Amino acid sequence: MKHPIQGRLLAVALSSFLFYFPAARAASGKAFNPDLSANFLGLIRQGTGISNNRSNPDHNGVRLQEAEIQLSSDVDVYFKAVALFSVSQTDTTPAANGSTEYGIDPEEVYLETISLPGVTIRAGKMKLGLGKHNQLHTHAYPFIDAPLFQSALVGDEGLNETAVSAAVLVPAPWFSEITVQGFTPGNSELYRSRESGEIGALVRLKNLWDLSDDTTLEFGLSGTRGKNSLEKTATAYGGDLTVKWRPSEGGKYRSLIWNSEYLGANRKGLTDGSGNDVAKLGGLTTYVQYQFAERWWAQARGEVLGLPKPTEFARVTKQSALLAFLPSEFSGLRLQYDHTKADDREKSDHTVSFQYNITIGAHPAHAY
Amino acid sequence: MNSLKYCLFITLLSGSASASLNIVTTTTDLRAIAAEVAGSLASVESIAKGTQDPHFIEAKPSFMVKASKADLIISNGLELEVGWLPSILSGSRNPKIKAGEKGNLEIGPAIDPLEVPTGKISRADGDVHPDGNPHFTLDPIRVGKAALLIGKKLGELDPPNAATYAKNADALNARLTEKTKAWMARIAKTGVKKVITYHKTLTYFLTRFSLETPAILEPKPGIPPTSGHIIEVIGLIKTQKIPLILVENYFDPTVTTKIKQEAPLVRTVTVPVAVDGAPGITKLDDLYETLVKSIEGK
Repeated sequence: MKHPIQGRLLAVALSSFLFYFPAARAASGKAFNPDLSANFLGLIRQGTGISNNRSNPDHNGVRLQEAEIQLSSDVDVYFKAVALFSVSQTDTTPAANGSTEYGIDPEEVYLETISLPGVTIRAGKMKLGLGKHNQLHTHAYPFIDAPLFQSALVGDEGLNETAVSAAVLVPAPWFSEITVQGFTPGNSELYRSRESGEIGALVRLKNLWDLSDDTTLEFGLSGTRGKNSLEKTATAYGGDLTVKWRPSEGGKYRSLIWNSEYLGANRKGLTDGSGNDVAKLGGLTTYVQYQFAERWWAQARGEVLGLPKPTEFARVTKQSALLAFLPSEFSGLRLQYDHTKADDREKSDHTVSFQYNITIGAHPAHAY
Repeated sequence: MNSLKYCLFITLLSGSASASLNIVTTTTDLRAIAAEVAGSLASVESIAKGTQDPHFIEAKPSFMVKASKADLIISNGLELEVGWLPSILSGSRNPKIKAGEKGNLEIGPAIDPLEVPTGKISRADGDVHPDGNPHFTLDPIRVGKAALLIGKKLGELDPPNAATYAKNADALNARLTEKTKAWMARIAKTGVKKVITYHKTLTYFLTRFSLETPAILEPKPGIPPTSGHIIEVIGLIKTQKIPLILVENYFDPTVTTKIKQEAPLVRTVTVPVAVDGAPGITKLDDLYETLVKSIEGK
């Protein structure tokens, strides 16, 4: 849950970070200042299943979906550090008062080793390796919204906890990486233990093969366990498969990504309002992104939430189509349509969203 | 005794095999230079292919595997690889090749870059490189200097073979210096004084051979041609009698169709701009020769 802090407090905090640190003050010029960038997502959305109450963070109309400020730098010869703060609308109390309030959240703040051979150790607050999508920041989502399984199983912010992580490169001819993470269970949905001594565990195996110079195949498996709000041991497991194609000749103008991801969880002891067991729930999403011109992408996505499905749970299916125009690496405009149908409702929901995605500051190094 | 000699021989062989350097370069041009300077004493691989725009390479994890085993990474620098090399270096988990270490050589800043912006720069000016134009491997003289830098670095990493690396680098430098004189004479003979390109990829080549670039097909670096800008370019071609447009072969050449309709006298040629950028371009000499022939109209 984000804490409502006024925007000027953020500015003060950042100023302190930039100007109070001894290294930044002592450096000649700006050489030792961290790389600094800001990203923001503006959203215009109209949907039949979305609240018309402006005080609800996810409401129809015009809104600031999220703003992020990122600072990153080598700390010394041993570590680098990343601090990424996100600002987004929070629930307003009382909900009907019509005002919009924003909160700041340390989305990711961690240090990472840079001098150890074969392994990267990371400590701090971070997006955990539960599948592929969970590791993405909102501005890097392939669609405007997260998959159904994310908000249903691990919450809107994903599994993003205080943790220690070790990622080891397996000595194999292809890219193979094993990540082991120990984390504090403070998630809004899946893991939420009041016991401060409780530690959750996560393991991820990621493999990537070059099928040719133009095509890669990525396959990942993840498993995690930890105490939930009922102090019972919950588990989650996921698999992801991604094929990427970008020709060596003409690759500026054409490329294709096909991704499928499954996430399932056993939320031990969880019941709905009527006391029915809803512990076991899973969801699947699959999408295609096709780049048909230098700056244009067409995308389609299909999703199911309810694999497995608790007896009293209404299965949800969703189809999305998206058209993206990316004028440069630093700006993007995306138009998305969603059709959502829950088994227990006669009518479907229809949503149209338009998002602008803007980045200023340091040039980001892109993840594959 | 014989078996002891045999064992010693095998040990020496395996020792020399492990002593050979494993070099990864970011581009095929740098691979060509490093391979010639290192000769048989190193294996050299490039991350980018010659047919790809080096600004937009994807940081494939398989490149991290290559980099994880590297003794040396040679990069172009001047922010050419800013969008992808940092991810490959951190993903490699190889402390030997991180920035600032002995196994990391960034050539660009040391070869007197062109088009270094002065004053305030802004992304409103397009994809501007704050430290200068990064495409220096299109200049044979700067490539000679790059060979000397690579030779020196290889000598530091493998001191017993330092003399060989220095000799190979000197030979490459001398050969390109000599050939440049001949290429200059050939280009001078063509009478071509002005050339238009798609992107500022060929700036170093054109500057070396005293060719002016009155216009670029991109309205600003990294921004695809707009119809308004192309109309301006057509006007320039007509008024300044510009005879030639060179389109780097990883860009879409169809933009020149409209120009040819309006200014039929201008010659348009799609050219490779990197080693392996087209069949038969296996060395930088081949690349420069192809470019010179394009200007000659051969």
